[in-house]
Amino acid sequence: MDVVQLLRQYIDCKTTLFREGILDDQFTQLQKLADDSSPSFVVEVVSLFFDDSEKLLKNLTQALEQPVVDFKQVADHAHQFKGSSSSIGAQRVKNVCIAFRTYCIEENLDGCLKCLQQVKHEYALVKNKLENLLRLEQQIVAAGGSIPPVE
Amino acid sequence: MALSDQFPVGLRVLVVDDDTTCLKILEQMLRRCLYSVTLCSKATVALNLLRERRGCFDVVLSDVHMPDMDGYKLLEHVGLEMDLPVIMISGDGRTSTVMRGIKQGACDYLIKPIRLEELKNIWQHVVRKRWNECKEREHSDSLKDTDRHRQGYDDCDYASSVNDGAEGTLKAHKKKIGPMEDDNGELENDDSSTSKKPRLVWSVELHQQFVSAVNQLGLDKAVPKRILEVMNVPGLTRENVASHLQKFRLYLKRLSCVAQQQVGVPHLFCGPLEQNMKFASLGTFDVQSPTSGQIPSQALAALHAELFKQSTGNLSSSLMDQPALVPSSLQRFTCFPIEQGAPFVEPLVKCQFYTSKPFSQSSMYSGDALSFGVWPTNSLGTAVSSGSLEGVGTQNTDLFVDVSRQQQLQQQPLLPETSQSSIVQPSCLLACSQPSRNFQGDGGVGFVNHDSSFSQSSFIDYSMAARSNNSSVAVRQNYDLSACSPHGSASQSMSPCSINTGGGTSQQDQSTTMASAATTQLLRLAPDVSNVLSSCTTKSSQLLDHGSLANIGFAGKGSFFP
Repeated sequence: MDVVQLLRQYIDCKTTLFREGILDDQFTQLQKLADDSSPSFVVEVVSLFFDDSEKLLKNLTQALEQPVVDFKQVADHAHQFKGSSSSIGAQRVKNVCIAFRTYCIEENLDGCLKCLQQVKHEYALVKNKLENLLRLEQQIVAAGGSIPPVE
Repeated sequence: MALSDQFPVGLRVLVVDDDTTCLKILEQMLRRCLYSVTLCSKATVALNLLRERRGCFDVVLSDVHMPDMDGYKLLEHVGLEMDLPVIMISGDGRTSTVMRGIKQGACDYLIKPIRLEELKNIWQHVVRKRWNECKEREHSDSLKDTDRHRQGYDDCDYASSVNDGAEGTLKAHKKKIGPMEDDNGELENDDSSTSKKPRLVWSVELHQQFVSAVNQLGLDKAVPKRILEVMNVPGLTRENVASHLQKFRLYLKRLSCVAQQQVGVPHLFCGPLEQNMKFASLGTFDVQSPTSGQIPSQALAALHAELFKQSTGNLSSSLMDQPALVPSSLQRFTCFPIEQGAPFVEPLVKCQFYTSKPFSQSSMYSGDALSFGVWPTNSLGTAVSSGSLEGVGTQNTDLFVDVSRQQQLQQQPLLPETSQSSIVQPSCLLACSQPSRNFQGDGGVGFVNHDSSFSQSSFIDYSMAARSNNSSVAVRQNYDLSACSPHGSASQSMSPCSINTGGGTSQQDQSTTMASAATTQLLRLAPDVSNVLSSCTTKSSQLLDHGSLANIGFAGKGSFFP
């Protein structure tokens, strides 16, 4: 695939992500933070985010599977997830986490379980799209092209 | 002077957040601001770092929600011990939460996700604080010589750019709290050749005198001027006393608030454990405080005084009362200067935090004189010297196995809540269970330590290293996730046991002391202090087995000490 096509795909991917609210402006901020001394900053942060999220999701699942659910702990995990997802700009994930916390406070197990499903779904979505985006970036650079600057 | 134009370039920021994603992002942003960044993923590590490297940081950015220590606790410690500006960060932007942060003394509160622009401005807090302190000093001291030599600061000349008039004072303030060569270690008056009055550090003795004075006058009537007179310490100013008094009052107030909560004891001295709900449900630690559960501040002050009085006295008994009882927030009063060359002595504060973390111990981490919070025998001249610990140790060894563990713990992340709940039993409890010197610790008390063990090991290594070198340890300038690297070796045995910093001698003593301290601490919560004390003391030598300890009421369930 040549650079032009790659670039087109890249732009499409990015536009979709923002248009659908999967990513928000915070992600743009992150992209702006990358510079010569840390060119792969975004990739690194995103990887960290994925690692953290997997752990959090695992913890959340386990916590909700307990015979006696510790809602406070679930809320803590949700809060944490909210923090990291908001820092990276994963808007939809963050929004689900907000709802999640409310259910925890109400100790609404059903609500929590539903949120868990939802957050897993949203997370999978953002993960998929981000991986795609970053891969395209790499390919473009490898093919000699350059990424359009972030406005 | 050279760098003043560049201020705030090079501002030294310490960031504390358990979320690695956020840490990374903050790091990058702060670097963009041309600040010098140090990262910590654990509050306990951060606190150690701040203590060990006093004067190496200008501002602290701390998350509110952290597993090992509540951000507010960290805030309080930093404010009291190091008096650095602290900025809270959190995803929780509710007004009530923000309000709490501000009331507790945070200079600012940023809501995640944080933007670069917000970070660019944090230097103002540093300047403001210094400026205010400088003004305070101007009133109290006479400015003798405004041109202090800059000590220990390469890049702190920005102070002078900010405040030419009081240049000297600022520098004095920023001057690294250098070697506490003072014999009595009370006032940090460094060489008289330097004119600026160095920052006062409240040593154990000094604080004890302060508390005695307050008690003598009566808390309500304790005004700085009178306290100053009663204390009669040369070089101490009314302002020093005034600010200390304010902090003390706040501390007492917090104590009484905390005591009101049903969570009870553990809350007092194991600050970080917010998740003590389970604890409360065990019903073991209802604070047996009078009436509404509020401990009158006067009583608290008296208690505090008593603790301190004893702490400087004979170790064996004093250890019992030691500040162990003093809730963690009080610890700030006791843990002061970080002495150089006393690597293994940790301020008591730390110990106190984690008393509720029992461990199935393993040998005390020998180096753990540290955790014990023993004051170095050096210049500080505090009463508790490692030497004396030995004496105590013999008496109480058995008791304190676990307590020492806790000491260890300070350096480690607190055990995850889930595993904690059952362990909430006071450390002393645990301690009793293991009479043997080996600290086999599996006694009836049932300390679990799975999760903790892994974190401990990682943590301990780190902290041990830190202790011995007093250097940057695992905390490199840029990234310190050391404490958080999970070992995954959730084995019961304390891997940390193997960590042996070789400081071994008084190790047992320390643990002993700590354990007793912890025990006392727990016991202390009851109004019947003397009773507890005596039972503790008398039993100390007999507390060789779990059974005896149970007599004291620790049976692990049922009512707490009367």
